[in-house]
Amino acid sequence: MSRIVLRDLTKSFGELPVVDPLSLSVQAGEFVSIIGPSGCGKTTLVRVIAGLEPATSGDVEVDGAPPRHARANKRVAMVPQQPGLLPWRTVRANARLLLDVNRAANPTDAVAPEALLDEVGLSGFLDRFPHELSGGMQQRVALVRALALHAPLLVMDEPFAALDEITRAEMRVLLNRLVEGKHVTVLFVTHSIAEAVALSDRVLVSSPRPASIIADIAIDLHRPRPTDVEDHPRFVELCANVRHALHRGMAL
Amino acid sequence: MTHQLLRRLLAPLVGIVVFLGAWELLVRTQHVRPFVLRAPSRIVHYLGQQAGDYTGAAWVTIQHAMIGTAFALLVALLIGSAMAASSFFEHAAQPVLTLLQVTPFVAYIASVVLWLGSGTKPAVFIVALVCMPAFTFATVDGMRGADPAARELLASVDATRWEVLWRLRLPSAMPSLFTTARYNVGLALIAAYLVEGGNFANEGLGAIGKRAAAFNKGDALWAAVFSMALLGTISLVLISVAQRLVMHWHVSQRRQLR
Repeated sequence: MSRIVLRDLTKSFGELPVVDPLSLSVQAGEFVSIIGPSGCGKTTLVRVIAGLEPATSGDVEVDGAPPRHARANKRVAMVPQQPGLLPWRTVRANARLLLDVNRAANPTDAVAPEALLDEVGLSGFLDRFPHELSGGMQQRVALVRALALHAPLLVMDEPFAALDEITRAEMRVLLNRLVEGKHVTVLFVTHSIAEAVALSDRVLVSSPRPASIIADIAIDLHRPRPTDVEDHPRFVELCANVRHALHRGMAL
Repeated sequence: MTHQLLRRLLAPLVGIVVFLGAWELLVRTQHVRPFVLRAPSRIVHYLGQQAGDYTGAAWVTIQHAMIGTAFALLVALLIGSAMAASSFFEHAAQPVLTLLQVTPFVAYIASVVLWLGSGTKPAVFIVALVCMPAFTFATVDGMRGADPAARELLASVDATRWEVLWRLRLPSAMPSLFTTARYNVGLALIAAYLVEGGNFANEGLGAIGKRAAAFNKGDALWAAVFSMALLGTISLVLISVAQRLVMHWHVSQRRQLR
């Protein structure tokens, strides 16, 4: 079953085309990354899929329905680029935020945020406030906030872009561990080649704006991904493939 | 922690004592005549003799100021939420609020007293009226400043307008509302004082001040002014304490490098 289907999607802001006719489909349980130069329209694409922005033309299907349905039924969990934690809520309460609104649509099998916070190593910080946490810890809370929804689709928009290299590497390992074997479908937007390859089953390479998919690269590294996956020769090879595709796109 | 708290409470006291000391010194050494400026010691002495009258009057004034402020805040939150939600409403309301803010309210005290009668009603009404615009602007600014990432996030799970208002926009308006509350304290007290002096109920510090001025009783007038200053100071301290309790998560409430 496909979690996301886009058919000839276009999006423009007035005269400015941001997404060229674009088609793609993401299967249930798949981890798909979209990588492209900054300003290429990736974030717009994510907002269309999350139902926050209407498409200009073409079809969008999320979880078998129009995005606004998926949104109303809390079928899409977002992790934004900025953690977006509310400074007056504790870690525990921030992790609950998405469960506290539109409660009618809460899943019956929502995961207790406390258990997830424990899983990401924040059990000692339940009653702390965001300003007492490091950037990496804040983004981990944001991750838990999304996972707690138990939505079939996780949409992440450059969630680690604001973090330092060491923390990013840590977050990659953590995210792999969290989603592997959980039957969650992930659409992950990034501009880091290593991040895309380390995490994904498939990497879609986008051209500069207006966005279109110019390469679809299968990542055949086996799962579960070992923590030292980035040292494997195959990893390095795949990174090179993605890099070449990106360069071809820039030259177009 | 207690040490820090002590220092925080001590600092304003030191400021006041130094100010009053300088004033006293000026009056005594320069032989300023009493009808120009009285020494603080004389004012305090008079206040001590008339303590009953003044505490009673101060209690009336603080009630006028507080009830009026509460109404102002309530109306401001309603109008401000609507303004933050609709730019048409915002543009429609802005000139009216500005008009309210710049009209010298002293000019219409008499009309309001004629309309609402003497006593508490006109005082509360005018305090609410003069404090409302600033609270409204603070509400709009704070709500507009809510974290866009959090807004987007709430939208992504179809949170209702009310949920966004309650969970995100209102708390986001807290810092600007507290700042405005500090500014409005003075305004509210002065408005209460002037309305009390401008009607026939003969209640509150404003009534004492008005009578004292009419009968040239300098001691009584200065005692009223002193009481007003004391009320203002106490109110500000209370606001600071409330801010510390409610807004401990905000940058402004943390220890900072100087």
